[in-house]
Amino acid sequence: MDSNTKDIAEYNLTVKAEDILFSYETNSGKDVVAVDHASFTVKKGEYVAILGRNGSGKSTLAKMINILEFPDSGKLSVFDLEADKDENFWPIRSHCGMVFQNPDNQIVGTTVEEDVAFGPENLSVPLPELALRVEKALGYVGLLEKADKQPSSLSGGQKQKLAIAGVLAMQPQLLILDESTSMLDPKARDEFLQLVARMRNDKGITVIHITHDMHEAYLADRVIILEKGNIRLNGTPSEVFSQVDRIRELGLELPKWAELLCEVARLCGVETEQSDFLSEETAKKKIREILKDKHPDPKMKTDKKPREVSDQVILRVTGLSHSYDKKEKKAISDIAFDVKKGEIVTVIGHSGSGKTTLISHLNGILRPLEGKVEVWSEEEKKYISTEKNNEIKKIRSHVGLLFQYPEYQLFEETVEKDIKFGPSKMGYDNETCDRLMREALPLVGLSEDILKRSPFELSGGQKRRVAFAGILAMNPDVLILDEPAAGLDPAGQKEIFGYIETLRDQGKSIVLVSHDMDEAARIADRVLVLKKGEQVFFGSPEKLFSQETNSYAMRLDKPCLVQTMSELKKEYPYINDTVFDVAEAAQSLVFGDMKEVDAQ
Amino acid sequence: MMKDISIGRYVQGDSVIHKLDPRMKVLLFIIYMVTLFIADEPITMLAAVAVVIFLTLLSKIGPIEVVRSVRPILFIMIFIFIINVLTIRSGETLWSWWVIKVTYGGLERAVLMVLRLLLLIVATSILLTLTTTPLKLADALESLGSPLKVIKVPVNEIAMTISIAIRFIPTLVEETDKIMKAQSSRGAEYDTGNVFQRAKGYVAVLVPLFVSSFKRAEELAVAMDARCYQGGVGKTKLHPLKLKASDFLWFFILTVVAFIPVAVDLLPKLI
Repeated sequence: MDSNTKDIAEYNLTVKAEDILFSYETNSGKDVVAVDHASFTVKKGEYVAILGRNGSGKSTLAKMINILEFPDSGKLSVFDLEADKDENFWPIRSHCGMVFQNPDNQIVGTTVEEDVAFGPENLSVPLPELALRVEKALGYVGLLEKADKQPSSLSGGQKQKLAIAGVLAMQPQLLILDESTSMLDPKARDEFLQLVARMRNDKGITVIHITHDMHEAYLADRVIILEKGNIRLNGTPSEVFSQVDRIRELGLELPKWAELLCEVARLCGVETEQSDFLSEETAKKKIREILKDKHPDPKMKTDKKPREVSDQVILRVTGLSHSYDKKEKKAISDIAFDVKKGEIVTVIGHSGSGKTTLISHLNGILRPLEGKVEVWSEEEKKYISTEKNNEIKKIRSHVGLLFQYPEYQLFEETVEKDIKFGPSKMGYDNETCDRLMREALPLVGLSEDILKRSPFELSGGQKRRVAFAGILAMNPDVLILDEPAAGLDPAGQKEIFGYIETLRDQGKSIVLVSHDMDEAARIADRVLVLKKGEQVFFGSPEKLFSQETNSYAMRLDKPCLVQTMSELKKEYPYINDTVFDVAEAAQSLVFGDMKEVDAQ
Repeated sequence: MMKDISIGRYVQGDSVIHKLDPRMKVLLFIIYMVTLFIADEPITMLAAVAVVIFLTLLSKIGPIEVVRSVRPILFIMIFIFIINVLTIRSGETLWSWWVIKVTYGGLERAVLMVLRLLLLIVATSILLTLTTTPLKLADALESLGSPLKVIKVPVNEIAMTISIAIRFIPTLVEETDKIMKAQSSRGAEYDTGNVFQRAKGYVAVLVPLFVSSFKRAEELAVAMDARCYQGGVGKTKLHPLKLKASDFLWFFILTVVAFIPVAVDLLPKLI
């Protein structure tokens, strides 16, 4: 057992992969190449981000570094030790720490401290030191006072910190983060990233971070982009992200400020250089340069057409309060808002602010303690309320609710049966169910050849869309969507938001819960802000992020685009800084001061 | 909303019984079980009642908790009582009608049987479930079972499995709640409709629950691998069970107490 705890010798390269190949066989007997002849190195102390679409082989790559998987061919060495030699197995693995995506599925201990102790216990760390390591690790991540609590009493952010503590107690040289931040809200995500930065600073730990978030990628020293198991790009963030077209081809995105730079440059017919993509500051500098000497083509000017929203109120919530336990504080109190036909209302607020409680009321899953939830029934020409038991079924046929990670609700043998489950429960006959199902499929980009397949053999993104279709097939007037794009790659997220916009244009009313402030503000007609169960704002996103509304007091982060534009507004007072769409923002920067010219 | 699900029926406390080493408690439990079965006379049963009341007072567990732990077997107790009253016929006949005949002997037997069961359950609750966390209990079983390793019983792995099961109960409860809400939104029914509709409603919950549990198990196995899990071999423990002098002292006292009913039973016969 001594080899477990033995320190590894001095080494030069943390990871060196030469031409590694990994393939696996699917249930249907097909060989799938997950990592295709990849070569790369990670230096000691380096912070490397790995990006790529879902299923591009990122996780497999990470698992090979930790020897959770073995490459079929090629040479892999970690800490200068060859990974395929038996004697190197424990030295490598015991010095790699890994934090996974789902906080719940990596906690082993029945109490917080037992969980932190799990790793060092396996490494046979003897007692006084073991307890010391656990205490130190918990202190480092700020969970010491939770030591004897059950892990289930922690929030998602705390659970991920617990996972970090568990890794820290093993005193790793390399930390691998496998989409560790993707299930966290923005505040918890920031805290998590700060913790990782502190660990790098204090302990010189090498970090490999698999992520879908472009802002996170920019924190790294180097970015590796995978596509279908191949390394397509490998360089500093600015080297990689300045290849704008290539990035978009690979199904990824740019940070908002970089997109703004590209759009301004396009409007003014200017080329960008790699040095402009170094940071938000260099991008703004370039934007200033472009604007100083701009000769935009007036034909590029577009006007934003204001969207027409009908006045008909479809969903109405008045004085709504709820508490799970009569003795405790109310989970939500005195919520009042309405949703009109063809309108998108986004609900934002931190974890625990009552968003899930609120939306569970909208189709009668929860009944109000006080107040009312009413839904317009077109057939009866009147509002029906969730108070009455006998109208719940009717309410649910009008209001479709899609919870977070809906792929976990699929259960039938075939996609067809699963999608038809909802409408058949609503009492439609078989023919109508069939029609509703076939109408729902294209709305989420699915084709009919998927119908006979089992939902469990589909990819994560496809499952999500099948679950979405299952709700759409019930043909609801109102759609309640809880984080519909969570955990998907940027291209997948964009698709989902595209479907939502199409549905709105078809006259559906949508209530959307989202953590992504940029997307929430861009897509919304009105925004509802919850803070600790109370409604602190309900109105247009423009008003929410304008100077007079104190969004800071609501502890909301402004959308990244608004932050960039607010900075620029100091120099260009004519621009509109409450814009949520990159194209619109660029228009405002380039043409904003030309209104008078137009008028003459 | 489901943040503090209590696992088992553990009641926090700092009584002598709470602090007693869980292995000692398991052994004491076996001793009490044996002595309760030896007790066969009304007078010994009375002594046993006194002993169990003494245990309860020692554990500082409130009467409500004790009653709550007995409630689930209320039906069985009534059943046993009736069966005994009706089938055992000895001594004076107290009441009879048609084929039913209640005798003094039958009644005595029935009361003794029910009382024995009741005491057994209360003793189990006081010694184990109400004063010992499931994790400690698993630790105790692991430690007491370690001789079985000689015959290749994977004691550590079994204990690990139990502790993971305990760890995941709240997670699965939460998950079940989520899935039920999601399926209700799709019109699934659990509380209305006929038996088949209800069963179908539960299929809609159980299938996703199983699928996600398998996924969880798979991910957890990878996470455990990543943290160098290799079975019980060489594994150290953060809170190893350690026997103190006080554990031995209380074990001795409580063993003596356990034999009081037996003594009450045997003494007159010896004299």
